Amino acid sequence: MTMRRILPLLLILVAAREVPAQTPEQLLRQANQLYQQGKFPEAREAYGAILSSGYESPELLYNLGNACYKSGSVPAAILNYERARRLLPGDEDLRHNLQIASMVITDRIEPTPRLFVWDYWDGIKNWFSLSGLTLMVYLLYALVAVMASAFFLARTYALRKIAILAGSGSLVLFLFFLVVLIARLGDVTRTDEAVVMSQIVTVKNSPDAKSSDAFVLHGGVKVQLIDRVGGWSKVRIADGKVGWLEATAVEVI
Amino acid sequence: MKRTLIALCATVLVSALACAQNAQFQAGVDRAQVGSGEQFSLQFTLTNAGTGGGKNLQLPDLGKFHIMSGPNESSSMQIINGAVSSSVTYHYVLQPKEIGKFTIGAATIEAGGVTLRSAPVVIEVVKGSTRANQPGGKQDDAAAQIGDNLLLKATVDRTHVVQGEQVNLVFKIYTRVSIANYAVEKNPTMTGFWGEDVETPKNIQTNPETVNGKQFRVGIIKRMALFPTQPGALEVGPMELQTSVQVQDRRSTDPFESFFRDPFGRQVNYIVKSEAIKIKVDPLPPDPPSDFKGAVGQFAMSTTVDKKTTRTNEPIDLKVTVSGTGNIKLIESPAVELPADFEQYTPKVSDNINRTGDRISGSKTFEYLLIPRYPGLKVIKPVTFSYYDPAKREYVRLRSPQIELNVEQGAAAVTPLISGGSQEDVRLLSQDIRFIKLGESGLSPRGEHLHTSGVFIAMLLLPLACAGGALVYARQRQAVMLDQAGYRNRRAIKVARKGLKQAEYLLKEKGSTGAPASNQRLRFYGEISKALWKYLGDKLTIPQSAFSIEGAVAELSRREAPADLIASLKALLETCDLARFAPTSLDLTVMQRTYDEAQRIIVALERILR
Repeated sequence: MTMRRILPLLLILVAAREVPAQTPEQLLRQANQLYQQGKFPEAREAYGAILSSGYESPELLYNLGNACYKSGSVPAAILNYERARRLLPGDEDLRHNLQIASMVITDRIEPTPRLFVWDYWDGIKNWFSLSGLTLMVYLLYALVAVMASAFFLARTYALRKIAILAGSGSLVLFLFFLVVLIARLGDVTRTDEAVVMSQIVTVKNSPDAKSSDAFVLHGGVKVQLIDRVGGWSKVRIADGKVGWLEATAVEVI
Repeated sequence: MKRTLIALCATVLVSALACAQNAQFQAGVDRAQVGSGEQFSLQFTLTNAGTGGGKNLQLPDLGKFHIMSGPNESSSMQIINGAVSSSVTYHYVLQPKEIGKFTIGAATIEAGGVTLRSAPVVIEVVKGSTRANQPGGKQDDAAAQIGDNLLLKATVDRTHVVQGEQVNLVFKIYTRVSIANYAVEKNPTMTGFWGEDVETPKNIQTNPETVNGKQFRVGIIKRMALFPTQPGALEVGPMELQTSVQVQDRRSTDPFESFFRDPFGRQVNYIVKSEAIKIKVDPLPPDPPSDFKGAVGQFAMSTTVDKKTTRTNEPIDLKVTVSGTGNIKLIESPAVELPADFEQYTPKVSDNINRTGDRISGSKTFEYLLIPRYPGLKVIKPVTFSYYDPAKREYVRLRSPQIELNVEQGAAAVTPLISGGSQEDVRLLSQDIRFIKLGESGLSPRGEHLHTSGVFIAMLLLPLACAGGALVYARQRQAVMLDQAGYRNRRAIKVARKGLKQAEYLLKEKGSTGAPASNQRLRFYGEISKALWKYLGDKLTIPQSAFSIEGAVAELSRREAPADLIASLKALLETCDLARFAPTSLDLTVMQRTYDEAQRIIVALERILR
């Protein structure tokens, strides 16, 4: 490489250093502006840059999903919506957009029916944000502690009675929401769900390219990862069918 | 006059009744025994049916006979001596199909509102001619003339084949008489075969051939290629041919008859029948290839696609042609294994079969319409086709080369097809996604949650500490409240020791005069006294204010302290009291003894008051 070619490169590197680092909030504002101007692929890159700098928020993932959808990449949109849903399951806009994106993809998989109780459970689980839920569990915990202290310190029988009733009530609530929180944390941190990113992928009956075909999936389908052998992932789809596909075809939510 | 009228009426009535009662229906044949090649006549006669005649004639089962002509209806009426008799005859000419004794069942007819039944008729059919030697009726004469001179023979080139192998079947007519024309009365039955007619010349060419010393003219009537579709002993049924044969009447001695005779003879209908043929069909060898679907013969296969490069959603035409000799028509479409996401339609099948020549040959083309839905390099796996070659006696598998297709992205994007979608789906599809969220808050480093932050974990301890503190405090307070006596008891010895130590210090400390000063002595006794009082107070749980020597002594004796100990305690206390009022009377040795005594008493009391 000649000096003439190196010099501009050096200059660029120096210049890059000179530019003061922008805060993630500023970057987000710029990306939102790009989206509003209709520059969806650019907005998508900008949102992606914020993510790769290590910051995230459900809103950021939601916006990235929108940008992906608008720039024509529905599987990526679904992936980001699903990621956002992990953090903010109750959001109405998010649910709506995810539903629309799921309509556009090729596969229409009928989920196996489940007991209605689980829908209620999900409703409770997803009612609060994760921080809100954590805070609530903390407050209930503090209330239990305060009521215990009051019970210890109360001098009269009536006061003790009130303390023990309020304390056991808040203890029951605390334990319930603790279970909810643990389940929710399990949802947030689970890594066994993925979205098919390839336009089309043939699911095999065994982890082998020469194996017989089980079924075909198209981009955007959510799958559950059950097992992994070499470069192959064993997946289950919503209607219960199971097969193997190349791990590169999917991306973990 | 009146009498005559009644008689007349009665006569008319009786005659009418008689007329109805006399109606008869009879069946008859012209002879009871016929030759197998001969014809006979069957007649049903209805007599005295009245003016209405008969109607709705129901014939019995005549399946064993050919109906050569009929029904021919003739009626006659006679008036003899004023009595009217009428008859209607239904006339049939029959030729037996088989040899044996047959019963022609009852025929029925309706006449004058009554259903009449004829009696069954028995007829015997014998081989050959019954009247060959008897010059008789013209009909019999004709049958006798035709007899062995007209034969229909079925021949096959092979009688033992494997399933699906071609058998050539030929029907030949052997004749020594002149046939005006013929028509197929009944085609051969061919259960278990697929038959293909082989073209024969329209005009039958006859060749001379000698059979049993007789010269025949032989012509091919029908030629067929048979392909057995099942193993086992199969049979090709007989074929029946109706012929019109020109016969010459025998020379008659009657000159008039010979004069009126047709010089070219006359035509007689005659049915000629071939024999059934048995063909033994072996099953195909076991373990055929998986793609074998019954093709037998010699075949070749070719596959072509109309283009190697296409765009998504643009159809490709894949043609698979199987050609050769054998049961072409029975060939099923070979399975084409397509990459996923190709749309495939049922193939269009066309065949081109050459029916001339010794063997059926031709080709069958399967045209597959394929529509790729997604771009990329797609590979159609080799198409395979298996057949059984009866010449080689083995299965042969043909394999086409692999077909590679390059599918490019077409202009039109794939529009999702909503099939079976709910109303909700349709409603949603018309909507766009919602707008982005413009809030800029909430960005946090990935994986950072409230529950994992250090502050939160520290905060977790706060309520616990709060409750723990409350518990400890409450415990202590309770202990103080509940266990004051015990506390004083445990505290007593410490306080007493402290007082004694103070006293010892005062005892040891020398004044400037070499002996303790008087106020010093005073304080010494005070300390001893205070230590004892406090000790007793704590041990006996007596408030300081309500303390007296007597009270203490009484409490000690209640607790069964030894009397001498009580006495010395009492003495010591009194000494202390006395010393406080007259301090000078006590010197150092007394002080020392007092100190020792106090110590001894406390140790002894400690042992008792545990």
